[in-house]
Amino acid sequence: MRVTVDRDRCIGAGNCALIAPAVFDQEPDDAVVVLLDETPPEDSRPAVQEAVDRCPAAVIVLAAG
Amino acid sequence: MSLPALPLPREWELPFDPPGPAGSRLVRVACPTGLSAWLVSDYAGVREVLGDGRRFSARPGQASHMLTAFDPDSEPEGFTRLDGPEHVRIRRNFAPQVSHARRLTELKPLIEEITDRAITRMLASPEPFALHSAFSTAVTTEVIAELIGVPAAQHHLLRDAAQAIFTTTTTADELRAALEPLFVYLYQAVASRRAEPGDDILSRMILLSASNERPLTDAELVDMNAALLIAGFDTTASMITYGLVALLNTPGEWDRLVADPGLAVPATEELVRYLGVGTGLLRRATEDTTIGGQAILAGDYVVVSVQSGNRDAALYPDAEVLNIARKPGSHIGFGHGAHACVGQQVARMELNTVLAALATRVPTLRIAVPVGDIEWKRDTVVRGPVELPVAWS
Repeated sequence: MRVTVDRDRCIGAGNCALIAPAVFDQEPDDAVVVLLDETPPEDSRPAVQEAVDRCPAAVIVLAAG
Repeated sequence: MSLPALPLPREWELPFDPPGPAGSRLVRVACPTGLSAWLVSDYAGVREVLGDGRRFSARPGQASHMLTAFDPDSEPEGFTRLDGPEHVRIRRNFAPQVSHARRLTELKPLIEEITDRAITRMLASPEPFALHSAFSTAVTTEVIAELIGVPAAQHHLLRDAAQAIFTTTTTADELRAALEPLFVYLYQAVASRRAEPGDDILSRMILLSASNERPLTDAELVDMNAALLIAGFDTTASMITYGLVALLNTPGEWDRLVADPGLAVPATEELVRYLGVGTGLLRRATEDTTIGGQAILAGDYVVVSVQSGNRDAALYPDAEVLNIARKPGSHIGFGHGAHACVGQQVARMELNTVLAALATRVPTLRIAVPVGDIEWKRDTVVRGPVELPVAWS
């Protein structure tokens, strides 16, 4: 699985970093998402999918591969 | 032919019901302020509208279909009515203070301490005890005031402002008059924190934004902090009280929480899903478009019924049931899209801290009157009981 984020539209709501802290962090100054792992291990798929579903700004995309 | 009225919750008849069923067919409705709008009530439709700020603008104001004082055609004052990059710029000044995962870890002990003190006061009080005013509102007021550095002597400023802004019948003149004392106080606070910063949210916003390309202006700082103070206590307090009525009135749910206070985390999500935003949110189409096959013209108003959407079987097959152990899914009780509740992480933390602490320290908590005798707030967009008498011995 491959994860991408659109940092330009991120509002820093923090859901992703709270749900999947091994994959997502936040910038200290504006809380914008920081992608820690573009190709996270398969066992993190449920958490990453939840982060996708619960991102209010819909800036996280999960693709196969 | 006159349009049907926008359906609204009727807690005094059906305490926990959404204003209407989730339906995929859009209907034209007349809103309390006189606006005509398309009503969207299914989960997919609500999520689509709130999630697409390009097609559906927030400029008319989040609740201008309910609130007399707000003119949807007026020039936007404040970030809640901005769209696109302008809005994102403001949001990013909030986020490090109220929705950064590490910052939230720092806030937890403060919220626990305020909650514990309030429960100790409650247990030392005579019964029946007025839970909404003396506990829920006391806790949430103290949390947000402490975070922004507003002393107890000034708490009445945010109470008066919230009362005016959330009441549907408040006129524009009355609202201006009610907000003025809070704004005067906040302009003074901005000046004093610029001169002598503390560790509060206002000071942190000033310091962090100083290095930005466009540092926040005094007017923006006042707008943002007023929004946190006003929206930060009444909505959360009402959800605590309303949520407790639902928990205590649904057979088995309170006992489950007492048996496992760890359920406070999913219970928080479930209560916000079940009871949140009954009066809906307003948007305006920026272009000719469609929702669920219905043609919408540029300039048309759209009201999304968040609570009906959250009861849609498309979200959960048994969405009509309150189940505090439900695996949290993507409910829209804090809204959705770029304008989703700014304070949602702090609100979550307050709710789950309060629920776990009450279940642990006051397991025998009960409503001291028949549920049919509870008086409900009516002329407001922040729903819940006017007061909740409770007992525990």
